[in-house]
Amino acid sequence: MRWIALQACIRTDAGMPAVNDAAAQRALAGIALGFTPRVALVDEAVLMEVAGSLRLFGGLSRLALQLEQLANQFFESNQAPAHIARAQGATSLIALGRLRQLRRQPDAASRRVADLPMHTLSAAGPHLGVLERLGCRSWDDLLRLPRDGVARRFGAPLLEALDRARGHVPDSYEWLVLPEHFDEKLELDALVVHAPALMAGAQWLLLALQAWLLGRQSGLCACKLVWHLDQRQGVPPSGELVVRTAQPAQDLRHVARLIAEQLAQQRLPAPVHSLSLQSLETEQLADSAAATASLLMQARQQGDSAVELIERLSARLGPAQVQAWQAHADHRPEAMQRWVAALGAIKSIAGSVRPERAQGLNDAKIDDLYPSWLLPEPLKLAVVGDSPVYQGRLVRLAGPQRLEATGWLMAGDSGGACGKPPAIRDYFICRGVHADLLWIYSERLPVSAPQAPQGQTRAWYLHGFFA
Amino acid sequence: MLSQNSTSRTLPDLAALRHLWRAGELGDASQRSVDTGYSSLNQVLPGGGWPQGALIELLQPQPGLDEWGLLAPALAARQAGAPRQLMVLVGAPYLPFGPALGARQLDMRRLLAVRAQGPALLWAVVEALQCADVGSVLAWLPQARSANLRRLQIAAHAHDKLLFVFRPLGARQESSPAPLRLLLESTTGEAGNLAVHVLKRRGPPLTLPVVLATRPARLTALLAASGERVRRQREDAASDFSLPSSLPRSLVHALDRAASLHPH
Repeated sequence: MRWIALQACIRTDAGMPAVNDAAAQRALAGIALGFTPRVALVDEAVLMEVAGSLRLFGGLSRLALQLEQLANQFFESNQAPAHIARAQGATSLIALGRLRQLRRQPDAASRRVADLPMHTLSAAGPHLGVLERLGCRSWDDLLRLPRDGVARRFGAPLLEALDRARGHVPDSYEWLVLPEHFDEKLELDALVVHAPALMAGAQWLLLALQAWLLGRQSGLCACKLVWHLDQRQGVPPSGELVVRTAQPAQDLRHVARLIAEQLAQQRLPAPVHSLSLQSLETEQLADSAAATASLLMQARQQGDSAVELIERLSARLGPAQVQAWQAHADHRPEAMQRWVAALGAIKSIAGSVRPERAQGLNDAKIDDLYPSWLLPEPLKLAVVGDSPVYQGRLVRLAGPQRLEATGWLMAGDSGGACGKPPAIRDYFICRGVHADLLWIYSERLPVSAPQAPQGQTRAWYLHGFFA
Repeated sequence: MLSQNSTSRTLPDLAALRHLWRAGELGDASQRSVDTGYSSLNQVLPGGGWPQGALIELLQPQPGLDEWGLLAPALAARQAGAPRQLMVLVGAPYLPFGPALGARQLDMRRLLAVRAQGPALLWAVVEALQCADVGSVLAWLPQARSANLRRLQIAAHAHDKLLFVFRPLGARQESSPAPLRLLLESTTGEAGNLAVHVLKRRGPPLTLPVVLATRPARLTALLAASGERVRRQREDAASDFSLPSSLPRSLVHALDRAASLHPH
């Protein structure tokens, strides 16, 4: 049996701490659960039994070091630098006693178990004054007293605690089990009127969520933030937003930024008194048990990934404003490609690019006689005399190239959507006033079209630029 | 007398310093640069190419004129070198047309187009520069001010990205933090279709523009062939007028062709 006792002491010198002690303890327990399933919250400390995990992590000292590093990173990344006090021992009470002694006298760490002072034993707490007057200052002093006398004077719990500390009685606790779904509520200190100000509260909840994820060794795919509004007439009791990420994340800084972006766009109909955060989807992260330290929260030197970039841009600008390209088999220029919301195509963008696959996918039609810019909608050009003008006179350089924007493909596709009859186009390359090349076409309605005008000059459209 | 002595003593030392840049020389190649694909342009740019990790400012009369011809070779080479990296367009004036850009060896699937207005444009550019998976950023910023550009220059430098910013000609009179400023002008000359004026570089001023042929070879050939045909038709038409107009048109044409063929 090897026990480790942990306690996080939040440094309060750097302004207001972002977490209180209870939250820090629970966060620490979550982190500890990433190392062993036997974790208990006892008084102010986190106790973990690590005998079963020693081999996986390469020994007690390595495990302890990794644990400490991870915890330090966790608190630092959440703007709450903390000092992690750690002690270990053969039984839980020894580890806890050493931890308490360490907190009081940092230099007297490696004293014998028998010399641990009386106050480090929780069960002795109510009797400290009497014990002091009896001359019992250390655990050893108490053990020398006759057992039945101690039991009569101080009650059974103190003796039992002593036995547990010495390993004569089984040392077990109600182990901490994390709930299947994260759902925590936070009462705000004050009513919040502006949505972005909810972020401070959300940070608290995210910290707890991150500890929960660490303990369950999973990554977050989707979560829901709910704010509960002050009761007013005609105002719904709560509002919510859902944030999804394409890649399961344990490092929630990206999620926090997404929430902040979305909150910035929210308007609150009434003041908010409390917040709650729920995990909607999580994904088990394989192999995170032994590799926790390297997997998580490593300082990324270069920056975010493409997925994070797309999600962040889409969150602020709107999904339709961030677009990715898709080829489409069609002979009409405007239908050869589609610009789709990048958020929907995020898997293919983020996915690995294999050259042979890329070759196969890239056999979309390519032709260097096409313009490199295409207008989203063909622009109808003014006509002077019989020739079109765009910012000035155009000089016709090449053409016509005939293209029938008609056929069975048109029937249900753009023909119906645009309400335009199928037409025949003659494309020309023209030189504009800036000596640039323009791609224009003249459209003639087919003979069969009922409204084919007689004697009307042809309609000219600008469709692209050769840049 | 004293000053002469001092300069004669210090000059040899200065010459020995490697990090010294004299205003008459091009900037050194200490910064990384990306081959532009045009040797005549490489020669006038400090470092022999597009400087990486610096803001490159390109002024043009209106957006959408010459971007791809000038940048496609460098961007395609960069994509070929790092196929996972994204290329981000911020505030592009029109839709980039895949079939034509594919012909210029650009991988369209690694391209991201961001549309935004006003300050969001700048924000999107900075976000893109901070992303590890982004290799190059092209931004059209018609309303950016000098202070905005300075932020972009700092971001491009910090994250070592290739950043091109397109601005209107009116920005020529404003000061700019960009270490390289070019003015693009389409021309119709024989030598090429794009004249690049170097407004600012780490080196002596350049008075004459660099003229590049940026169009694809097939397009150039098509235009040349069409031009030739038009010229010939015009000659034909000119000879038309010399003939009696009472003759049928098709007959005239046939006769004319026969006449022109005979001397050979």
